[in-house]
Amino acid sequence: MNTRRRINDIIGGWARVLALTAFVIAAIFPLYWIIATSLKGPKEIYTFPLLYWPTAPSLGGYQKLFGFAHFWLYFRNSLVVTLAASIGGLVVCILSGFALSRVHSPTRRRASLLFLYFTQMIPGFILMTPLYLTLAKLRLTNSLGALVWVYGASTIAFGTIMARSFFDRIPVSLEEAAMIDGCGPLGALFKVILPVSLPGVFAIFSFAFVNIWNELFLAVVLLSSEGKMTVPVALNSFISKAGVSWDVMSAGIVVALVPTIVIFGFGQKYIVAGLTEGGVKG
Amino acid sequence: MRLGWLMIPAGLLLIVFIYYPLLRGIGIAFQHYSLLDLSATHWNGLDNFKAIVFDANISFARILLNSLAWVLLSLVLQFVLGFCLALLLRRPFRGRGIFTGLVFYPWALSGFAIGLVWAWMFNGQFGVVNDVLLRSGLISAPIGFLSDPHFAMCSVIVANVWYGIPFFAIMLLAALQSVPAELYESAALDGAGWFRQLFNVTIPCIRPTITSTVLLRVMWIMNFPDIIYGMTGGGPANATNILATEMINKILKNYDYGQGSALGVVIMVILFTLAFFYLKWSERQEIAL
Repeated sequence: MNTRRRINDIIGGWARVLALTAFVIAAIFPLYWIIATSLKGPKEIYTFPLLYWPTAPSLGGYQKLFGFAHFWLYFRNSLVVTLAASIGGLVVCILSGFALSRVHSPTRRRASLLFLYFTQMIPGFILMTPLYLTLAKLRLTNSLGALVWVYGASTIAFGTIMARSFFDRIPVSLEEAAMIDGCGPLGALFKVILPVSLPGVFAIFSFAFVNIWNELFLAVVLLSSEGKMTVPVALNSFISKAGVSWDVMSAGIVVALVPTIVIFGFGQKYIVAGLTEGGVKG
Repeated sequence: MRLGWLMIPAGLLLIVFIYYPLLRGIGIAFQHYSLLDLSATHWNGLDNFKAIVFDANISFARILLNSLAWVLLSLVLQFVLGFCLALLLRRPFRGRGIFTGLVFYPWALSGFAIGLVWAWMFNGQFGVVNDVLLRSGLISAPIGFLSDPHFAMCSVIVANVWYGIPFFAIMLLAALQSVPAELYESAALDGAGWFRQLFNVTIPCIRPTITSTVLLRVMWIMNFPDIIYGMTGGGPANATNILATEMINKILKNYDYGQGSALGVVIMVILFTLAFFYLKWSERQEIAL
């Protein structure tokens, strides 16, 4: 019985390793493939059978990307808009999440949560045309500043839900002590509560950063001049009627993926905690 | 301590940038509203909805069926594979952190860029999928995965499943780790094997998470045209056109904001109805909301 069990354990262990390896290969291969493509010259890209490793690695795709395609400009646009919107949104979410976490009245809490959750059920695209029409009337289309406001607002609902669940776990006695020491509620929040909830703060920021960095359609509708394009809009503009030149496109995709992979690499633990808290518990 | 005023910025942002545009968007769905002739804008009742449903070029039934296949198949496969992954990562082992990072990172990627990557991998001439299948002798001629209507829907769903597995795995892993170990110990004492434990302990314990994650995911997949837009744009011959991509096409290509908004309203009505019955059906289970 005991040996049978041990044999089962060993088989189970190996099966687990095999299955996990399969998952890792499946998860990584597309990324590997686009990086490999970006390092091939056009000749090596368009051959069949394929080369699984660039035999003559070339940065030609990247040179074209940053040369005539002005990708730095789009990268900078995206970075400025994403940072401004996610940091601005974060501050608002911290305030509202904290207030929501300390609401005593159950009806008010339910109403606020409903107000927040409802926005999560709306198809975002229905907002696209009204936002465009309103901003056009205010002559604010084709403006990165207006995009910051729209993107910032898009992070508020989920960010507040996440912030609230993090603040819920911090005992009220902590800020009460600070307030006895002469802090106002805001002082208590920023001096005492925030320093102990940095993981949550980072999770909200990363979540906002990832979503804003990746957003395509609103930017396509709201931005019209080439100099204002963000990274996804630029990638979209690489698709022409004649097809896609994959040397430039693959290089562009790799550059577009880097920032969110870096953010995820640093914040994986906090992001995972934030997602599960915000999504399930609310 | 009065803190309500701290919610004012958030409330204002949501009203100005979400709730007001939502109401206006619903209004536009009942107007003739085209960027190409704005001066002709007028209320037109249900004309936009009629135009969508009875479109001579694009069969509405086809779009509905595509949406159903897209949501259902993506959801089931993401759930099953995500659940397997979560089970594999449940217990600590050396290097788990790195493994977790390597399998979860697709969550952070841009859906549109991922669509482009998979479009390249499924390319009919130089795609790596064709190359692998040819080398292994499974096919004798390359397949036009994205140009052949029979394969296009499967191809975009494969990409979507790849993209969505991490989300399910993240949610389910957290739930799995909160199942008390004593339950497994006593189940093992009663002689329950791995499968009995899975169905009699694990799944009942994480049912609330499953219920809410599935609902969140259905809404999200339904509203997610990015991958399809990057891979096929809804083609070939509408084979991968779903409600969300059709809405994007109406707005970005036809500049017909009225019909685009009407499609948005259709999506919203479908999702709300679905959520209502789904929540009713799972009423007996506690949903932590």
